[in-house]
Amino acid sequence: MAITTKKTPVIKLRDLKKRFGIGDAEAYALDGVDLTIKNGEFVAIMGPSGCGKTTLLNIIGLLDRSYFGQYELDGKPVDSISRRKQAFIRSKQIGYIFQNFNLVPRLNIIENVALPLTYSGVTRVNSLIVASDILKLFHLNEREYYMPHQLSGGQIQRVAIARALVNKPTIILADEPTGNLDSRSSHIIMEELAALHSVGNTIIMVTHNANLTTYASRVITMLDGKIDTDSREMPKPEKPKHKRPKAKKTKKKLTAKLKRKKK
Amino acid sequence: MTRLLILNHIHNAKQSLQSSRVRSALTMLGVTIGVASVTAILALGSGAGRVINDQINMLGGNIAVIRPGVTVNPINNITQPQNNQGYATSSLSKSDLEKLKKIKHIDLVAPLMTLGGTITADSPAPANTKILATTPELAGISNLKLREGQFLGSEINENSAVVGQQLSINLFGTESSIGSKMTIHGQTFIVVGVLKPLNNPINYNSIDFDNSVIINYSMGEKLYKNNAQIQQINVRSDSINNLDQVVKDINTVLLKNHDGEKDFSILVGDQISQPTNQLFFSIAGVTAAIAAISLFVGGIGIMNIMLVTVAERTREIGIRKALGASNTDILYQFLIESLAISVVGGIVGYIVGYAVAFIVSEFLVFSPVINWQVALTAMTISIVMGTVFGLYPAIRAARSDPIDSLNRHN
Repeated sequence: MAITTKKTPVIKLRDLKKRFGIGDAEAYALDGVDLTIKNGEFVAIMGPSGCGKTTLLNIIGLLDRSYFGQYELDGKPVDSISRRKQAFIRSKQIGYIFQNFNLVPRLNIIENVALPLTYSGVTRVNSLIVASDILKLFHLNEREYYMPHQLSGGQIQRVAIARALVNKPTIILADEPTGNLDSRSSHIIMEELAALHSVGNTIIMVTHNANLTTYASRVITMLDGKIDTDSREMPKPEKPKHKRPKAKKTKKKLTAKLKRKKK
Repeated sequence: MTRLLILNHIHNAKQSLQSSRVRSALTMLGVTIGVASVTAILALGSGAGRVINDQINMLGGNIAVIRPGVTVNPINNITQPQNNQGYATSSLSKSDLEKLKKIKHIDLVAPLMTLGGTITADSPAPANTKILATTPELAGISNLKLREGQFLGSEINENSAVVGQQLSINLFGTESSIGSKMTIHGQTFIVVGVLKPLNNPINYNSIDFDNSVIINYSMGEKLYKNNAQIQQINVRSDSINNLDQVVKDINTVLLKNHDGEKDFSILVGDQISQPTNQLFFSIAGVTAAIAAISLFVGGIGIMNIMLVTVAERTREIGIRKALGASNTDILYQFLIESLAISVVGGIVGYIVGYAVAFIVSEFLVFSPVINWQVALTAMTISIVMGTVFGLYPAIRAARSDPIDSLNRHN
């Protein structure tokens, strides 16, 4: 199959279903999701609470394995990938940013950032060096040996982003990354994500905040476990066959019309 | 995709154990106590084994021991010569003794007869005092040396007695008690000799010579109204090469004398010391069982603490999994943590065990042995403990669902 576009699909979901409970209590968190996300997209997923956004993100992030339907990552069905290999993909290819930061409280900042490197086989010393370098990018190099509880929310989230990026992943999953932050910090974080997007990373972000979707290249809204609207699949406004009326002209026409009515 | 995370895991374990020092120390204490008791038992057990080996060498190998009854359980063997089977009649008799003396190549024959009853002297005799009636030949067979005076002999008065050094002190308040008098079964005995301290209460005669009084066999018979109860007959052949022949002859003679009933046993070489050995092993076995219980309790402690640790760090496990840790990584992380507890506890236990063994050996006749077997056993026990009791919590951690773990509130 010839690749027609530069952007290849990295994530392909077909009729994805996720069920919670059994019998009477059965409920579908995801009820037939079809979604293709291409390399380099910045996707914002929106929707009311309980519509399955986070579940979707967990499945994409290979954390949740109990689902029905098809999930292909880089053209490979995820079912056929061994658990160990999946863990390796998580450490190499996927960066996870959580709403509640999820730093390990026992470890200091630099150790937290170095954590994903440990699991991809980098030696301890090297991983600390790399972690230190990335913390510099986030202007946190002076806080390297602080414990997580000694930092502010915005700083912690920056640490969490640094941790998500330390392995240079191609896919970044963010689950309400600004949910616990004030608007100023939110925008700083969003600028960081936008910058990551601009260098070609795929970002999938779950958010409640409609303002943040302006950073995204594609907005998906979900409702009751299904994709409700998708900005990419919406019909683009077709190019008019005839020339658009000039704005000035239209204005004149309108004023003339109004004048006529008044009369 | 080889990932050697062992150093990371060790670092992690160190950090984790340091973060809750008291808890870790208390858990280690359980292992320490268990390993210390095992180490002490093994070290002292090897010491006791050495004592017995020395005795076998000292015997010279040309000694046979005849005991009443057929040896079924070696443990019974050692209890038989002692007089605690009071109402069981010994199958060995005086006529056996006379017949034995006539066998070719037999150098010395000495019957051992322990008597009940109390000794009356200046001070009362301690409870564990043995009254032994035997012939002068015993000195030759069992290599008894005198501190002063002389051993029993046909040329001296029948009412003579030889006492052990410790008994001499207990009875008369002095080591030089020659000429002192004591009363046994209403009969007065005069001390003619004091034995050199042997300091081996563990021996094939089952008699602690330091704490016994030895009287003439004929007197023993008299005190029991000519109804001798022989608990053991020691026989020495004239040469080690003739021992086999001597044993055969003894068997034939005694069988004939007992109307073909095999109600005695003849022990040679290792067999003689075996009962003692066996007894030691069984004592060590019982103590080891107690140590095993303490090890088990210590192991339960490890498991308990590891389960708490896993529960406390459920969220961390979720984070680690989300960041790329595989189940195996998590398993090893917690397994190494429990191993760290058990190995450190084990090393401390090994040291404490030897300290205890050396302190205890001050009160015993043998000293503990330091060898690699004990070290290896202590190390193996700690590693096995850490693995066995750490495995379940580690598996639980490894199998936990990452999403559930992440949603768990700290």
